[in-house]
Amino acid sequence: MTGADRPAAVPGGALTPDDDSEAGRWGWAAGERRRPIIQAASRRTLRRRRLIGRVGRGLCMLCAAIGLAPLVALVYYTAERGIPGLSVDFFFHAPVPEGIPGGGVSTAISGTARIVGLAIVMAIPVGVLASLFLYERRGRLAGAVRFGADLLTGVPSIVIGIFAYALFVRPLHHFSDVAASFALAVLMLPIMIRANEEAMRSVAVDLWEAGVALGARRSRVARSVVLRGSLPGLVTGNLLAISRGVGETAPLLFTVAAPTFAMTLLIYADGTQPYPDVQQTAWSTALVLLLFVLVLSGAARLVASRLTRRAR
Amino acid sequence: MTTLTGGAGIASIKDAVRLRHERPGGRAYAGLRWGAAGLFVAVLLGLVVSVAIDSSQALAHSGIGFLWSGTWNPAANQYGAGILVLGTVVTTSVAMVIVVPVGLGMAAFLSELAPRWLAGSLSTAIDLLAAVPSIVVGLWALLVLSPLFGNHVEPFLKSIPVLEWFFHGYAFGPSILLASVVLAVMTLPTVVALSRTALSGVAMADREAAMALGATRWQIVREVVFPGARSGIAAALTLAVGRALGESIAVAMVIGNSPAVPHSLIAPGATLGSAIVNQFAEAAPGIGTSSVIALAGVLLVLTVAVNAGGHALLRGMGPRRAAGDGAVR
Repeated sequence: MTGADRPAAVPGGALTPDDDSEAGRWGWAAGERRRPIIQAASRRTLRRRRLIGRVGRGLCMLCAAIGLAPLVALVYYTAERGIPGLSVDFFFHAPVPEGIPGGGVSTAISGTARIVGLAIVMAIPVGVLASLFLYERRGRLAGAVRFGADLLTGVPSIVIGIFAYALFVRPLHHFSDVAASFALAVLMLPIMIRANEEAMRSVAVDLWEAGVALGARRSRVARSVVLRGSLPGLVTGNLLAISRGVGETAPLLFTVAAPTFAMTLLIYADGTQPYPDVQQTAWSTALVLLLFVLVLSGAARLVASRLTRRAR
Repeated sequence: MTTLTGGAGIASIKDAVRLRHERPGGRAYAGLRWGAAGLFVAVLLGLVVSVAIDSSQALAHSGIGFLWSGTWNPAANQYGAGILVLGTVVTTSVAMVIVVPVGLGMAAFLSELAPRWLAGSLSTAIDLLAAVPSIVVGLWALLVLSPLFGNHVEPFLKSIPVLEWFFHGYAFGPSILLASVVLAVMTLPTVVALSRTALSGVAMADREAAMALGATRWQIVREVVFPGARSGIAAALTLAVGRALGESIAVAMVIGNSPAVPHSLIAPGATLGSAIVNQFAEAAPGIGTSSVIALAGVLLVLTVAVNAGGHALLRGMGPRRAAGDGAVR
């Protein structure tokens, strides 16, 4: 709020700065050149300010309603169309070809579990160790890792999928879960690294120094002080990263052998078919996926809120 | 620790610490840490190099004109990214035209204006909805919104005199407009969640000072809270633009996939991401595949530029706020 770019006669003038002095900034003691603010706010401008305020508040409320409507509709439709297709068979039977009744999506559920599980095994150790590196070191490599994590977070998932294709699928001449897991790990890793570092920063450096001063090895300090102290934050960040990974489609598109081996691919393949009963499978799978992701993300936030409550 | 008692001075303490850290366990730990950090950097470089190699093959074939040429005709071995870049920029821009006012208004409502019980539960809901997978948004848009748009929304927009210039032609349903709406719905929860955090982070003392001066509630929001949170809001919007540019699957489901110069927002179109999804499986080995990967290269450059620009903007705004800096993406 600099005085230069705003005329003194802004309607209502309550926050209108007069000059750059502390008094002028807030207008309350500029009696020599201006009347005090409360007097200046005549009945008319007050009415106008209130009117503008009411309009503004109304617009915000409208925005909230406009924004909420599609989100509610999205969840509602997914539930409404998805629930009729849920059954025990849906979870435990393999998909059947179009036209044959029955069948489920067990292969897609187990495929997603396998791919994401392997991605977690790849990403979490690297993520935790790389963030410990960021915690303990500063310097060029640390800067590069941090910058790289920021950059990689913004890289579209389809580009990461292409990378996994070029690295594994093309040279080896076949699709593989490992390539898909690698792509998801690359996708989750930068989110994990930044979240882990953030969580570790909440552990006071004094504690780390005290640990080292006691003569403990750094690995020991890392384990007993840094990791233990930041555990809830680590859990939150990693769960959020995993919930991102579970819902990704693009990295799997060029790496998984068939759409029946991952839930997101199955939704894409079945949802774009014109047959209602195939679309039904897509809706039900979408509902299961949505619930799973919401539960993961909710669990992450529950851990986070527990943490803040304890810290208070 | 016996060396410390021998009166040997600082050098010995250093030695002791060094000795201790150089025991096998300590060295293994240091190696692991370095290894993890190095591995991460290597993966990042690998990604850039791998995409760059294929892109350079495509550029060698099509020339630098690949970047702006409007023809994408695999049958004639002609490849160009021009129309797709245009489609990407148009869909993202329209999405932002929707998201910025709605998202910021909603964030202001949740942070400043709503009663506490409503704000609390709605904010939690929005935070959770930020995790909705884009494929679910795409499915909903394809099967529910698309018929709605084709039958009602698009004919309605066409019938409005001035807007007609933007919305003319045949109303199919799948269109650039629908893709933009999908991107808007997809990015909205993130924008709201992050901007709300930024707005709530503005110091209560600032608000109280303005209130003491007789500012109305709305003036506090407009002149104190929003300026105070602008870096967090900028971070949220940068993130949203980046995600909108890079979204592929959900867009591919609803944009109609017609790589032609968009003459109207209700005409079908194509973006870089949707073209990669649709062309990759059918691409001829060799130059065809390389050309599709080159699209990924263009997309990579575009998104990295946006994110780097956002970071530069944030640095210009002073200290970065925790809201845009955290891991909640």
